[in-house]
Amino acid sequence: MMNPADRRILLETRRQFFARGSSSVGALALASLMNADEARPVLPHFPGKAKRAIYLHMVGGPSQLDLYDYKPQLKEWYDKDLPETIRNGQRLTTMTSGQSRFPIAPSIFKFAQHGPGGAWISELLPNTARMAGDMCIIRTMNTEAINHEPAITFMQSGSMIAGKPCMGAWIAYGLGSMNQDLPSFVVLNASHTHPKAGVQAISARLWSAGFLSARYSGVALRAGGDPVLYINNPDGVDRGVRRRMLDALGELNQIQYETNQDPETQARIAQYEMAFRMQSSVPELTDLSKEPTSVFNLYGEEARTGGSFANSVLMARRLIERGVRFVQVYQRGWDQHNLLPETLAAQCKDVDRACYALVQDLKSRGMLEDTIVLWGGEFGRTVYSQGKLTADNYGRDHHPRCFSMWMAGGGVRGGTVHGETDDFSYNIVKDPVHIRDLQATILRQFGIDHERFTYRYQGLDQRLTGVEPARVISRLIS
Amino acid sequence: MKASSLLLLAVLASTTARAQRPVDFQREIRPVLSDACFHCHGPDANTRMAGLRLDTREGLFATRPSGAVVAPGKPAASLLIQRIHQEKPAQRMPPAASNKTLTDAQKTLLRRWIEQGAQWKEHWSFTPASRPAVPAGTWGRNPIDKFISKALAAKGLKPAPEADRRTLIRRAALDITGLPPAPADVEAFVKDSSPQAYEKLIDRLLTSSHYGEHRARYWLDAARYADTHGLHVDNYREMWPYRDWVIQAFNRNVPFDQFTIEQLAGDLVPNRTSQQQIASGFHRCNVTTNEGGSIVDEVAAMYAKDRVETTAIVWLGLTAGCASCHDHKFDPISQREFYQLAAFFRNTTQNPMDGNIPDTPPVLFVPPSSDEARWEELRAAVARINQAKTRRREEATPAFDAWKAKGGTFSAPVDPAAGLPLPELDQLKLAQGVEPGTGPDAGTPALHFKAKTTAVLDPPPAWRVEKGFTLSFWLLMPKADDAFTVMSQSVPRPARNKTDEDDDTAVPPQGWAIDIAGRVPTLRLAGENVVRVTGTNQMRLKPGEWAHLVFAYDGRSDQRGLALYIDGKQQSPSNRGNLILKGSPAVNVPITLGGEGRRHFQGGAIAGLRIYNRAVDPEEAGILAVWNKIDSDPAARLNYFLNRVDPEYRQLQTQLTAAEYERQTIARRSSVTHVMEEKRDSSPMAHVLFRGQYDQPRDQVAPSTPAVLPPMADSLPRNRLGLARWLMDPGNPLTARVAVNRMWQELFGTGLVKTSEDFGSQGQAPSHPELLDWLAVEFRESGWDMRRMYGLMFKSAAYRQSAAATPEKIRLDPDNRLLSRGPRFRLDGEMVRDLFLSASGLMSPAVGGPSVRPYQPDGIWETVAMKGSDTRFYKRDSGTALYRRSLYTFWKRSAPPPSMEIFNAPTRESCTVRRERTNTPLQALVTLNDPQLVEASRRLAQEALAAPAFDARLDVMTSRALARPFNARERGVIRKELASLMAHYDSRPEEAGKLVSVGESKAASGFPTPELAAWTMVASSILNLDEALNK
Repeated sequence: MMNPADRRILLETRRQFFARGSSSVGALALASLMNADEARPVLPHFPGKAKRAIYLHMVGGPSQLDLYDYKPQLKEWYDKDLPETIRNGQRLTTMTSGQSRFPIAPSIFKFAQHGPGGAWISELLPNTARMAGDMCIIRTMNTEAINHEPAITFMQSGSMIAGKPCMGAWIAYGLGSMNQDLPSFVVLNASHTHPKAGVQAISARLWSAGFLSARYSGVALRAGGDPVLYINNPDGVDRGVRRRMLDALGELNQIQYETNQDPETQARIAQYEMAFRMQSSVPELTDLSKEPTSVFNLYGEEARTGGSFANSVLMARRLIERGVRFVQVYQRGWDQHNLLPETLAAQCKDVDRACYALVQDLKSRGMLEDTIVLWGGEFGRTVYSQGKLTADNYGRDHHPRCFSMWMAGGGVRGGTVHGETDDFSYNIVKDPVHIRDLQATILRQFGIDHERFTYRYQGLDQRLTGVEPARVISRLIS
Repeated sequence: MKASSLLLLAVLASTTARAQRPVDFQREIRPVLSDACFHCHGPDANTRMAGLRLDTREGLFATRPSGAVVAPGKPAASLLIQRIHQEKPAQRMPPAASNKTLTDAQKTLLRRWIEQGAQWKEHWSFTPASRPAVPAGTWGRNPIDKFISKALAAKGLKPAPEADRRTLIRRAALDITGLPPAPADVEAFVKDSSPQAYEKLIDRLLTSSHYGEHRARYWLDAARYADTHGLHVDNYREMWPYRDWVIQAFNRNVPFDQFTIEQLAGDLVPNRTSQQQIASGFHRCNVTTNEGGSIVDEVAAMYAKDRVETTAIVWLGLTAGCASCHDHKFDPISQREFYQLAAFFRNTTQNPMDGNIPDTPPVLFVPPSSDEARWEELRAAVARINQAKTRRREEATPAFDAWKAKGGTFSAPVDPAAGLPLPELDQLKLAQGVEPGTGPDAGTPALHFKAKTTAVLDPPPAWRVEKGFTLSFWLLMPKADDAFTVMSQSVPRPARNKTDEDDDTAVPPQGWAIDIAGRVPTLRLAGENVVRVTGTNQMRLKPGEWAHLVFAYDGRSDQRGLALYIDGKQQSPSNRGNLILKGSPAVNVPITLGGEGRRHFQGGAIAGLRIYNRAVDPEEAGILAVWNKIDSDPAARLNYFLNRVDPEYRQLQTQLTAAEYERQTIARRSSVTHVMEEKRDSSPMAHVLFRGQYDQPRDQVAPSTPAVLPPMADSLPRNRLGLARWLMDPGNPLTARVAVNRMWQELFGTGLVKTSEDFGSQGQAPSHPELLDWLAVEFRESGWDMRRMYGLMFKSAAYRQSAAATPEKIRLDPDNRLLSRGPRFRLDGEMVRDLFLSASGLMSPAVGGPSVRPYQPDGIWETVAMKGSDTRFYKRDSGTALYRRSLYTFWKRSAPPPSMEIFNAPTRESCTVRRERTNTPLQALVTLNDPQLVEASRRLAQEALAAPAFDARLDVMTSRALARPFNARERGVIRKELASLMAHYDSRPEEAGKLVSVGESKAASGFPTPELAAWTMVASSILNLDEALNK
């Protein structure tokens, strides 16, 4: 709760703001002005390297064993049972807990070393491999969740129970807007191409602001229909008609204000003017016609197809360019319980080139240094096969104890590989990174101390990383 | 701070102490201690530092080796003051690591409080409310106003004059019914010269059927009501009869104690009615899951936690959920007490996995009213017949012995009239890889499928699959974990041109087949679509072992007519649901044993296959499963006798089958709603879960209530009914306060306690503590009469004030917490949409019924949904369903209706008693561009155009939307807008045509299209006014 003196200043500021006209103030700033009953945190706590982030979430849990965690010795373990000493009490999902045996499925894909750190990367990611020098690969991510719904929620919000704000909302709340007419936190849902890919549910709660003000929740940028919900005027209403209508509306609201003296009425006028400006800034954002051919040469022609992963990451770059703070891209289809060789290859094909293109594009525009790109799923996959194991086909169940993610940009230490797992990519041997550690590290790059970055809710100073210990992993960053 | 200046401060403070106003412990001291200190020196014993607690009187005034924590009158001698002023940072409280700091003002307050004698009180909300004396005063109409004017006077403010009548009726109508007043009602009220005109208006509005709808809308946020299960597949949940119950409960003005008891424990009320059972659905509104890998103990713990949290927020205003992992940090709720509360909710018959079905048991069928009497008769009949069966079974031994003595023999498990002849399996012509072999016993030959090959069996000539049948056989489960097809009789469909990658509508081959996946068996019947009966993960077949399976189909083309028995026991299928089979599953091909197409039963075996031309009943299925033991098993032999020989028992069974059949017939016409049900063979209990983790159970605890509140009377049962009665006990200090505070919040925008969900230590203190207590006592002593309490608030002068602000009021009362003016704030999302529909005349006034699907942008559901979710594709309704009140809009939790969500509606995933109210550009885009609201604008324009001229037309619009006519200046603005729009659309009639075609309802003929288009935009301007969007 703001004290009365601050409140008064705010109201005065608000009056000046409206007296001056509203064209120069951003959406978020405006929203705060219009409805401020809370003080925003004083941030950053210290100079940060990152100003924005693009988080590419591969929903379902990509197999670390087939992509980044190379285990050549497993060839000799083909169809042998996972030793009980390795499993060591790990709880299993009820999808495989009833399995009579746990036959080991070595990856059928080839790996090679790339980049200055000699990172082993699967043949499924030939383009990503080319930028190994930019990437910090973490092989020792771990979580406690073993099913998608709680695991994705955990990854995003630091809690398995729905209702907490996600990372994008925290950052929007903490650092505010850098742009005039777009939200601070934007979400894209990319399509996948393989019809048999293992698709998991996501939900609006994954980009919600939880207990933070709704103004920090992610705004979905949609591939079909209105790119932002309700942004388009109805048929038969052009921009001129809308302008005339809003002029009348503004005048009438002003007449009302003279009687009721309610600052909210003036806020209403500004709210409609902001909406009007968004109606031109959003189409400008989504219009790719001015992107040169070189861009499509980089991202691939499918970047022209709305909703494709390549299109989504190109859009993410455009959003970042326009000052959006946090872009979340979801791609579903990474839940390879069966048919892994076929469908994982297809998922990788969907994203491989575009990931490379995004990082190179950001770099060439000088934006990589203060933009974090994060890639990964909500957990890993088991070394043993779910369902039938054959020489060329297998599936893998969920595995929480270790999985791989990568980061690039934003002061992340490129060309490195962090952490080691055991011979079965089942347990972590060295340098674990819990998802809370990752969140703390990302906040650190934004200049935020995750322990001091709190919001009072239900009487508690809530934070993204929760109450369990979380560490900034300094070896991931420079 | 330097020591010298500290000293100076102390001197200053002490010399002026007597002259200063008394420090209020409740308002000024406890919140500071709570926030800065309780985390380490509060209720949580596990994190308490130095054995010191500051949340109790004993702790605060304790004497420690180094002195008194707080020495009344002696700040300098108080450790508390010494430690907060410590110069060495390492010793200063609160420590830097806590990220807490005390401001100088707070430190001064603490000092002054001690100087003044350090008065201490129990946290205000835990002490009983007694009726305070109503302050004297001349202003106002009822006691509420005396409290309000006293607080205003203390700030030097005066109340505002009464609002004009048009404002009043619009405000009251929106607050009572959620809808704007009809113009005729406005005029009648304006002209009513009786001194009681306003009171009459309020009384009339309070008896409107829309009153219950509007109240229900708030309550459903608290109840986290929705139309889907919430997690993962997020399928449809049939729950709307509960919503109807809530609406009607408000309209019937059910007293709040009864309202509470029926929702928390309607199933446990003596002689419960079906309405009371429906009410118990309150705690079936929580989110549930059926995600494949879920662990049931974990999920069950999550549901219990949600139920405790919701109950605590709604009735106690406490954030009990904080105590699920550790003792509460701020309020006196221990972790143990949390699990004692959880125990009330853990004795449920509910399967934690919701099965992705619309009717996860326990559910109640709500028959159409014409069937109600028969439904009850049948319920009684079934109970009667079951009793008679039990009795006959107990008495039958002599008759059985007599029959045996007369040479009775065991001929066939089921009446041979139903049997269909089959060759013995070992007599079939077998392909290589299919081998005869041992069955579950020596007398039952089996076919073993050693390779990916099958055997062909000609179906019995008289078999009519579509009329109903039974398949009974023994099955040897292979050792591998693959998916299998055991047997089938089906024809592949012609290949389809599959372009939609996500096509999950593909139907398996026409016919029937028995599949096994994850060691769970399924029978599928496919005509044009497919119905199935699938077992559950809890009854998986064991690898390498024989099991007896019976699949029965009653021939009624309904998924609910399929049954599965494993080893003689009927299974509750994991895929219940009321799917109707379209087309016929009968195909003219042989039966394939051991596979279907490229799917096989390699490694498995079947034995003792029998086919009957009807669905067997559970008794018969039981006998089939033990038929191979009929020579030795006494229980099997008695069963045989009862069912096949004894006419009396068999007649009872026939009656039972008929009664069940009729019940199912009525059930198919009925709605379903989720209800609570206790397990009968156990008492409520829970385990303390270490750190809240389901797999770390500690002590077992019995249901009980927190010690800080008055104890449960010995006479109360230790179950939900007892809990509900305890909540409504007059001695409970919280329930009444929390409930009246929410009512206040609905009307005035902010509760007397702003944090309406948290009356605990970290919640905000009440703005008018005496008024809150007065209202709470009044509510309790009125017999918990909700309508009366709303009436009291509506009739107060405080509510009737003009909302016009002045600079002084904005300065001294910026948020209008003191009510220096009337309430004025933005309508909730549902009210915004309802305003457009109602003012335009588009709204369908029907009350109650299933949820509807109005306009929604494409792709909202698909973007997030699972393949196979039955709420993946949003199929918009048509006709009047598009124009129902927003309360009835279908609520999918993982993708709530966007136009509501943008206006701060909660997702209904957890209990919400206070909505945020933001103003964002996205909201303006909804009210400007949502087709629903554009259509409503056009409809309002049509209504206006029926009037003769500009002024009359404008009056039609503003009287409906704003309850007032425009003044000359406002008319001038519209006149200018209209002229410009007319010019535009006159020259672009095709544009005008597009605009007036938005929405499903057709534009009225008889008006020139450009004129209708221009007026549509005028209507939209009026409905988008700040005045329209506010009450």
